[in-house]
Amino acid sequence: MSERILGGLLLFVSIAGIWIARSFEAPFSYEPVGPRAFPILILALLGISAIALMLGSKSHNTVWAPPAVLKRIGALFLIVLIYAFLFDKLGFILATALMVIPVARFFSGSWKQAVAGGVGLGVGLFILFDRLLDVALPTGLWLNKLLG
Amino acid sequence: MESTFALLMQGFAVAGAPENLMIALIGCFLGTIVGLLPGLGPINGVAILLPIAFAMKLPPESALILLCSVYAGCEYGGRISAILLNVPGDAGAVMTTLDGYPMAKKGLAGPALSMSAMASFCGALVATVGIVLFAPLLAEWAIAFGPAEYFVLMVLALCCLGGLVGDSLPKAAIACLVGLLLSTVGIDSNSGVYRYTFDMLHLQDGIPFIVIVIGLFAVSEVMLMLQQVHSGTEPMAITGRLMFNMKEFMLAKWTMVRCSLAGFFIGVLPGAGATIASAMCYASERRMAGKDHQFGEGDVRGVAAPEAANNASANGSLVPMLTLGVPGSGTTAVMMGALTLYNITPGPTLFQDQPVIVWGLIASLFIANVMLLALNIPLIRVFVKFLSIPNWLLVPGVAAISMVGVYAVHGNTFDLVLGTLIGGAGYLLRVMNFPIAPFILGFVLGDMMEQNLRRALSISNGEIGVLFSSPIAIGLWIAAAAMLIGPRLLRFIETRRQRPAAA
Repeated sequence: MSERILGGLLLFVSIAGIWIARSFEAPFSYEPVGPRAFPILILALLGISAIALMLGSKSHNTVWAPPAVLKRIGALFLIVLIYAFLFDKLGFILATALMVIPVARFFSGSWKQAVAGGVGLGVGLFILFDRLLDVALPTGLWLNKLLG
Repeated sequence: MESTFALLMQGFAVAGAPENLMIALIGCFLGTIVGLLPGLGPINGVAILLPIAFAMKLPPESALILLCSVYAGCEYGGRISAILLNVPGDAGAVMTTLDGYPMAKKGLAGPALSMSAMASFCGALVATVGIVLFAPLLAEWAIAFGPAEYFVLMVLALCCLGGLVGDSLPKAAIACLVGLLLSTVGIDSNSGVYRYTFDMLHLQDGIPFIVIVIGLFAVSEVMLMLQQVHSGTEPMAITGRLMFNMKEFMLAKWTMVRCSLAGFFIGVLPGAGATIASAMCYASERRMAGKDHQFGEGDVRGVAAPEAANNASANGSLVPMLTLGVPGSGTTAVMMGALTLYNITPGPTLFQDQPVIVWGLIASLFIANVMLLALNIPLIRVFVKFLSIPNWLLVPGVAAISMVGVYAVHGNTFDLVLGTLIGGAGYLLRVMNFPIAPFILGFVLGDMMEQNLRRALSISNGEIGVLFSSPIAIGLWIAAAAMLIGPRLLRFIETRRQRPAAA
């Protein structure tokens, strides 16, 4: 079933993509093949493959993880997504600590381990990258104020 | 021949500079650790370190030395968890579990580890010599390729990878095509037309390579690790002697040589790679051993064969990437992306234009492997300690370091969020058994493929026939079709033959 749904989605992508590609037109051109041909070629092949996927044998059907595990994976994904959003705003140390604590809990760390890991990774990696390796990381507004 | 030697010496001068030696040592150490951690393999290690090396403003040759030594180190690390935990640290080490774990159970963990380190060294050494001998020849031959031949060559590379990996042809094809499609996002360099940017400023220059790589090989990896939580088995203790003895060495020495040579040639072929090389060599050594063997119950040849083969093929797979600019595996595709970050285009001209980088890289492979052998035998107990890093610390650590890498390159939130979303999609696709290597290869090759296609058709004034005009191009088309159909045909015949036997 998953294969059918994905195949349908990809077929839609390929049709929509070709439709969008119709407007790719070079204002003036010196070459016989413009910016349109390659994407259309790829999308057409993608459409064919998508149909093949939908019609394909059922022997390769996907086995998803049990719902309880899937829920945890979804939650993990959301945590990482929120981390990505807040990385710059909260600064590396705070954002990392906040991300590590729940993720560590997912991987069966105790509360104590999770908090220690969060603070440790936040501060430790900041010192390693920002101070020692010269890879600039965001400090976050709150820390800027504290540091003056 | 003499000039090759002179160039190699020049390479040693680059790789032997104190800071580059230091970088190689760090890379070897990190690589071994990444390799031994189940779930993280060479592609993850290279992917995560690539943006950091770039952000540290390492010069291109040093960055490549770092990535190559990490790559080499991972191939050594995979065997440690295979032998002590019965869990392969990376895909190439799957076969090593078959005899490695039984040896550890018999109390022979030390000899199994040292023998496999020796085999790894042998494989890597043979393959690096192979690179020195064959790469310049191949580069010289490929310099005659025109845009049409190049285009077909890239089609061949994608077909090879698509034909060999994964169980379903439509899935492999979709992975390739989506990779190619995503590579068209951004401003078209020939005409200035915006393609699939949806008016988003950050997409004008296309989807950054690092964002794709981190999404697929770090974010989705973290999600997969939650799915496959290993029931915390304790690693076997290393008791007794660490070194293999003379008898074991004599038993395995020809195995190592044979598997190293075979592994190198399998590695050079696009698509095949370490997993296939180690499986093939293990099977053929087992067959050649005759009656008097203990394969499957802890034979030293059973750890020597796959390790020699997988290291040789890992190094061998650098050949098509360096000489043709067409990587044959996921990891080398990521490495090629690293080169393009530095505005270096791999391909036949690389050997003429950037001898410092090419030969520095090759020399660093020699140095890295000597370091790895030296690190892996006496310090094995140190590495084993890393097996007990708990997942609750490792997984969030990987997530944080990956984000550092993405942030370091452009410093914007958009890239971080895009990488995470790609990672989520990557997780779904990986669970659905979509192979990831063809996707990354498609993304890396997409732009070059389009440029070469357009150039070829410009030369011929739009005549499609140019793609089939030269004997080289026709040969490549035939090879591509054979690679796409061949493996499936063989498997089909195999199952047909087995069915009556089973009945």
